[in-house]
Amino acid sequence: MRRLLERAFPDATELDVVDRTGGGDHFQVVVATPSFTGLTLVEQHRRVYDALSEPLGDGSIHELRIKTRGTP
Amino acid sequence: MSYSDRIRDVIEHSDVAIFMKGTPQFVMCGNSNRALQALRRAGAPVTAVDILPDPQIRQELSAISGWPTIPQVFVKGELVGGADIVEELEASGELEETLRDRLGGDYAGARDEKTISLV
Repeated sequence: MRRLLERAFPDATELDVVDRTGGGDHFQVVVATPSFTGLTLVEQHRRVYDALSEPLGDGSIHELRIKTRGTP
Repeated sequence: MSYSDRIRDVIEHSDVAIFMKGTPQFVMCGNSNRALQALRRAGAPVTAVDILPDPQIRQELSAISGWPTIPQVFVKGELVGGADIVEELEASGELEETLRDRLGGDYAGARDEKTISLV
C-alpha cells in the first residue's frame, strides 16, 4: 500500500500507512502533498482511492480511513 | 423504478442524504455511525438509506457517485464525502457552514430524521 501511495504521490511531504488492528485489513492512511492544494477533500480522497483501487477492488482492504491535506 | 433511479431521486430531493449500513435506529457499521453522529451534532435533517438489504444498491450507488466506500453523505445533491470527511468538516465547523449556506440559516429547526427503504 505504501508503495502504491508513494508512486501516486511522489511529492508527498507526509505519507503514512497504519495497520489499525494489526490484522492487515483496517488501515489509516495520511497523505500531505502540494498537489492536493486547492482541491476539495472529496477530490483529495478520490485521488487516494484511485491510487489504492487495486487493493480496494480485490477486497484486501476491509476498512480505510483517510486523512489528507495540501501543503505549500 | 430501478435502484439507480430511486438512488438519484433520494440524492437530488433530500436536503441531507446518508447512504449507510443499517438505519439510524440500528446502525450496523462504525463508519456509518461516525458520519451519522457528526451529522446529528451539526443538527442536519437527515434522510437515511440502508444499503445492506441488497448488494446491488451499493454497486449502483458507487457507480453513480464514483465513491467506493460506505457511508456516503450528500447535501442538496452534492457528495460531501464519507465518514472521515464529514467528521473533519464537523470538527472544523465547515459542515454547519455548508448546511447553512445550502439549506438556509434555520435548517436545524426541522431536525427531522427519516429513513427510506429502497427494497
